[in-house]
Amino acid sequence: MRRKSLGRPYLTIVEELIKFVLSIFLLSVLVFTLSRLAPGDPLYAYYGDRVEKMSMEEQETARERLGLQESIPVQYVRWIKGAVRGDFGISYQYKRDVKEVIAGRLGNTLLLGGLGFIIIFVLALFLGLFCARREDQRADRVVCGIGTLTSCIPDFWLSLLLILVFSVWLRWLPGSGAYSVGAEGSLADRGRHLILPLSVVVLGHLWYYAYLVRNRLLEETRADYVLLARMKGLSGKQVLYRHCLRNALPSYLSMMAIAFPHILGGTYVAETVFSYPGIGTLAYESARYQDYNLLMVVSLLTGSMVILGNLAAKLLNGRIDPRMRLKTGAFKEEAERW
Amino acid sequence: MDVLTVKDLSVSFYRESGEIEAVKHVSFSLRAGEILVIMGDTGCGKSVLCKSILKLLPDIAKIKTGQIFLQGKEITHYTEKEMQKLRGTVFSMVFQNPMTALNPCMSVGAQIAEAVRLRNPELSRRERQDRVINLLELVGIDHPGERAGQYPFQLSGGMAQRCVIAIALAADPAVLFADEPTTSLDVGVQSQVLELLLELRKKLGMAVIFITHNPEVAAQMADRAALMRDGELYRIGDAEEIFGKTIPNNCGRID
Repeated sequence: MRRKSLGRPYLTIVEELIKFVLSIFLLSVLVFTLSRLAPGDPLYAYYGDRVEKMSMEEQETARERLGLQESIPVQYVRWIKGAVRGDFGISYQYKRDVKEVIAGRLGNTLLLGGLGFIIIFVLALFLGLFCARREDQRADRVVCGIGTLTSCIPDFWLSLLLILVFSVWLRWLPGSGAYSVGAEGSLADRGRHLILPLSVVVLGHLWYYAYLVRNRLLEETRADYVLLARMKGLSGKQVLYRHCLRNALPSYLSMMAIAFPHILGGTYVAETVFSYPGIGTLAYESARYQDYNLLMVVSLLTGSMVILGNLAAKLLNGRIDPRMRLKTGAFKEEAERW
Repeated sequence: MDVLTVKDLSVSFYRESGEIEAVKHVSFSLRAGEILVIMGDTGCGKSVLCKSILKLLPDIAKIKTGQIFLQGKEITHYTEKEMQKLRGTVFSMVFQNPMTALNPCMSVGAQIAEAVRLRNPELSRRERQDRVINLLELVGIDHPGERAGQYPFQLSGGMAQRCVIAIALAADPAVLFADEPTTSLDVGVQSQVLELLLELRKKLGMAVIFITHNPEVAAQMADRAALMRDGELYRIGDAEEIFGKTIPNNCGRID
């Protein structure tokens, strides 16, 4: 079964790169076309309500100036010519370079989404193991019950509830924004602003993945190899951690990579409710106001993150489960390492 | 001398729908170094009998009556902790389907090494690896150094079963349970594995409880044989005595 190792890993990287570029290209065509076919007038994004006071001629000139007169393919070619040079145009709404608009907010979203993702990832694994070890015992049932309850609460409602309790009634935590005015540099202040949106992101997604881990692990504990492992003299706990976890991890990792956009979507909701200045709010606004250039970059950015997430999962899977290894000649080296 | 004695053992599964008696009042003893074949149709309780001795049954199964003695010492009510010490040292097991019995995510070398480490924790990494290689040679695997680094999906069924046997032998067991170890293999490979088990028994002197529903395999392996039906062990005796004459009709007939 060993494959020829002639330059395989290198080829694989090139292959994945080509796939990546192709997917992003297709995504750009799709979003470009769809956004322009959607009803609505981008002039509103640029001029706001003043559009209504403009004459037909003025509107025409404005459109021409923004390059919205030509057919969609022509517009696309112009856009992509700029894009490969790194020029993604200006945001109609903010009247600034799209890159600048996003750069100011990307950090905020990555902080919220990244922290949320890591916390969910670790806690889900921990909770899943906790429940799997106590299948159908009281602790398992209690955790499952609470988990199901929290995952059924809609994100936006939970957000409002948290704002009401912690910022309106108790006045412990700020209910909106990413920092207080005048305290932009303070880490403590940032942290305080993060707590509520982060709680929403985590609570909204955690149980879904924890339950997944629990059930995958329980599925594994019924596999034949568990009996063999126990016949070696391992305890149930050791079998769970050394054997079952290893078999359950690949599907958990690919699940989590696919979860990336799911959790990202969750941060978008939380951002909107908490008026947190991230790209989630941008995505929502740009789609709503036909801010084409901004929408393109936000979608492509989100798309790249999703694809890179999947690629990361694939590579990780190969490391853990040899059957899923990408086409490499790594089996030979493996023989030395057991 | 008897290594293992089972007296009046009954095992039941308790479900919401009621009690299912899987093993009913079974008694037998296993002499040191002998191969005892337990034969019977699918579902007659052969596997449950073995797993109840090893305490590998799910929680809904309970030993209702009877006693189990290991080398004269009663182990009927051993706790999970105490059983863990016996599994992998005194008891070992070979399973029906080697492809699912091996962990698909670990190289076979690592899986054998794990068993070696549990049995002989005092060995250094080097010594452990040597022991793994020895075990692989013992079960007749060529190029053991290379094979040790391979994963179960890279092995043939027969090869995988040899690895499972190697894991079982790592324990240096007094009693080896073989639960239909050739049922999932090709006929040609089947006889090779049977030969191997016979040879290993001679070399290592362990006692074997061999479960099968195949009378030909039973006749080839048995020093003594026990016949089971509906959870009852209704006949036990020397191989000639059992196979020399008529075979009970639920097991077919051999000449």
